[in-house]
Amino acid sequence: MTLAEDRIARFARQLLVPAFGEAAQERLSRARVRAVGAGGVAPAALVYLVQAGVGRLWLDDPEHVSPADLAGWLYEQAAVGGPRAAAACEALRAFSRFCEVEPYPVGGVPTAVVVAASSPAQALAAAEAARRAGVPHVVLEPDADGGAVVSIPPGAPCYACARSTAAAGRPPLPGAAALAALAASELVHLIALPGAIPGRRLDLVRGVVTSRPTSRLAGCACGASAGGPGARSPSETPGDAPDG
Amino acid sequence: MTAPRAVVDLRSFACPLTFVKTRIALERLGPGEVLEVWLAGGEPAESVPRSAEEEGHRVLRVEPLGERDVRVLLEKRAGAETGGWP
Repeated sequence: MTLAEDRIARFARQLLVPAFGEAAQERLSRARVRAVGAGGVAPAALVYLVQAGVGRLWLDDPEHVSPADLAGWLYEQAAVGGPRAAAACEALRAFSRFCEVEPYPVGGVPTAVVVAASSPAQALAAAEAARRAGVPHVVLEPDADGGAVVSIPPGAPCYACARSTAAAGRPPLPGAAALAALAASELVHLIALPGAIPGRRLDLVRGVVTSRPTSRLAGCACGASAGGPGARSPSETPGDAPDG
Repeated sequence: MTAPRAVVDLRSFACPLTFVKTRIALERLGPGEVLEVWLAGGEPAESVPRSAEEEGHRVLRVEPLGERDVRVLLEKRAGAETGGWP
């Protein structure tokens, strides 16, 4: 396993990050990432994933580009009204020749998933599909204070155990690109450095990030297929204390 | 002293590629094995040994190579291939 010279030059700055080396970059280049949602806060995460060197990015979004999407750093005015997945593919391909960006192919089998869905129900369904497939995934939850990122390596408590309920439906801040970058960073590390980060929830509240380990809801189906932390009751907040 | 397991000539490269390529060459070695790195004098000759030490590797020797360049011998530390992530 050797990283080609052009990839070493392209990803030199990332290869300087402690713990991030040739093997990690190779894992990224072999990854097939399904992105559920390409509007709202998603674009900054998509740019990050392409720039980090994931090998293939599949965009799963049936919506059209809206004027509000122009705030997300990716779409041009001329894209408004057109299919969002196609517009995102075109914009993202310009960033790197090392990432194949395509609309999500029917029946495609991803190795990792990022969920920036347009509804809580869609987020739950996409996260559950990723959990059942046994692939690492992250879910973005933008809200008026910033939002949260839930990181779910294989076997960790599922998104249904860790998701927000109180903040659902609030409008995202214009600066939610920070949340998207945080989510992409989590997914990059889940792919490139397996085992390096646990199941956790990162809350971004007015510019301050806190990290909490996730825990399994008593009786949740995700506990049937994985061991791990003890279960909590549904009335408890996911992770009552920051982990450091 | 253990004989070098590999030799990399980085005299035509500048920062950050000098240390990136050194790291990759070290990643390909086993713990305790020695890497010989050829570097241009000046900034690379100063920064690469320093960065390697900061990551826990041992700088066994730094010696002149010709009139301007240097030869650096690095011993890979145990566990260097698995870093931490907060």
